[in-house]
Amino acid sequence: MERNALAIYLAAIALFMMGTFATIILPFFDKEMMTPTANAEARNYAPDSPEAKGRQVYIANGCNTCHTQVVRPVKADLAMNIGPVTVPGDYAYDKPHLFGSNRTGPDLMWVGARTSKEWNIEHLKDPQKIVPGSIMPKYDYLSDEDLNNLVAYLMSLKPAPAK
Amino acid sequence: MLSNAPFSTAKNFWYTSMFWLIVSMLAGLVVAIKQIDPDFLYFQGQDALNFALTYAHIRIIHTNGILLAWLSMAMVGAMFYIIPKLTRTPLWSEKLGNLTCIIWNLAIVAAVVAICMGYSTGVEYAELPLILDLGVVVLCVLMSINLFMTIAKRQEKQLYVSIWYFVGSLIWLPLVWTVGNIPSSIVGGAAQANMNWFYGHNVLGLWFTTVGIGQIYYLLPKLTGKPLYSHKLSLIGFWTIATIYVWNGPHHLVNGPIPVWLMKAGIIPSVLLIIPVWTVLANVFGTMRGVWHKVSEDVSMKFLITAAIFYLMACLQGPFQALMQVSAVVKFTHWVVGHAHMAPFAAFSFVCFVTIYYAIPRLTGRNIYSKTLMNLHYYFSVIGFLMFAFTLWIAGVIQGFAWMEGKPFIETINTVQSLIVWRAVGGTMMIVGQFFFAFNIWKTVKSGTKFVSDEESVVA
Repeated sequence: MERNALAIYLAAIALFMMGTFATIILPFFDKEMMTPTANAEARNYAPDSPEAKGRQVYIANGCNTCHTQVVRPVKADLAMNIGPVTVPGDYAYDKPHLFGSNRTGPDLMWVGARTSKEWNIEHLKDPQKIVPGSIMPKYDYLSDEDLNNLVAYLMSLKPAPAK
Repeated sequence: MLSNAPFSTAKNFWYTSMFWLIVSMLAGLVVAIKQIDPDFLYFQGQDALNFALTYAHIRIIHTNGILLAWLSMAMVGAMFYIIPKLTRTPLWSEKLGNLTCIIWNLAIVAAVVAICMGYSTGVEYAELPLILDLGVVVLCVLMSINLFMTIAKRQEKQLYVSIWYFVGSLIWLPLVWTVGNIPSSIVGGAAQANMNWFYGHNVLGLWFTTVGIGQIYYLLPKLTGKPLYSHKLSLIGFWTIATIYVWNGPHHLVNGPIPVWLMKAGIIPSVLLIIPVWTVLANVFGTMRGVWHKVSEDVSMKFLITAAIFYLMACLQGPFQALMQVSAVVKFTHWVVGHAHMAPFAAFSFVCFVTIYYAIPRLTGRNIYSKTLMNLHYYFSVIGFLMFAFTLWIAGVIQGFAWMEGKPFIETINTVQSLIVWRAVGGTMMIVGQFFFAFNIWKTVKSGTKFVSDEESVVA
């Protein structure tokens, strides 16, 4: 094999495919992973709805850079009162997912349940005025339309009403 | 315009990569300052400018710039140097190589513009729009054709282990890239998050790590004058990385909204990775036996050994963090950022520095201009990084435990504020180090003294 490059190529591909099969392909067959919950249905926005447009504003401004949308069953998340633990099915219609990977700011998975439209508008325009010491940038450069759509999206981030 | 000169591709990749190193690190510094003063680069009333320069855009430029511009280009330069050297064969096409370099640079510029205009897929480390994603695949194909053809037509039939690592990397990168960049219109939700982190981790482990290790195995014998300690170990390392690394993606989603079996499928291999990491370290320590004095004499050796140690640290910290109980404390905190910089900067950027310091004299016929500048590069990088990383690890632990006590979020921001300031100081030192590097290389190319090769035969 030390003189045969082709053998190395094939081995590299084969070993790669094993891990890909196990960690990428198999999850698609996992019911827990793929079944939409009521929360997911609540986030299945109609195209061109304010919430859908607001979600695009969220992405274009990179809100997921600082904010997560994941509630873990761990002490840190439970103690911070950020809402119910999230399950894979909650994200079924999130395209793209907005899990985030860093909490430069608080988690927003259920932010609509603990804030108001007015609070969000004022906070986005001048975070420091509403939360002294905040390191969040000012989003006063957003058009009124973008701001309202973004807030519509944020306010939709709440648990689906219990049946 | 498209040169055919031997190793011109390698040099062009390196020179342009160094430009992007500075640009990307400056973007990182801007991000660090914005965490101290959110109004940094905010201009009252300048809506379009404020949008372009918003924190997230600069952060995305930083991450994509470091990963796709600096580090990838430096590593590609290394392969365009080392593969011809090891195969004792000229690069199949320097013209194609230089064309690849030009397209790559143009694509980076396009990426920066796109990001500032707000185009983003929203997927971390895969933010670039689809058209640029396809551009990356084209670049992978262009460089792979060139390098695989060189290997196919090689004079030296024996494939030294570095070539194994490079071949693997060239195959894995486009595959990993594809998984991470499959559009959201096709797959979203938790499954996409899983694919996001498959990509995010494997671009580190099956591209940067493997090309980096390939470089280490080339540099060790060259810089020490001794044969690699154990060829067998290096191959065990290759097989274990190739088998185990690809499974690690889910360790980024520990305690998160994925099934527990998937978490475990990521955590266990993360711990097993200590095996290939140890093969690299054993080879470094073994090869260094009897020549440790070179570390004090040769700044490149300092960089190489330091890189190996930081690589080991990153690969012990990683498995540690992948454990559910540890992750529960440090995830989403500043700790993660500290960890994230250790391998790309303190391990693999350092390795790339060594390759560049090694190759440039041999390609230009000029000695490195200033050993003092090399030392300044080293000490500013290392001390700056230690300050950067430790402030973040401390801040992360503070945040993690404070959140567990239910402290109000804004209070946890205030508590770590001074650490965040020191992080920016460390980051500034890291960047200043690179200015010494760039200046030194520039002066070398322009006016370094005549370099006499210590190699027995001059190749290609």
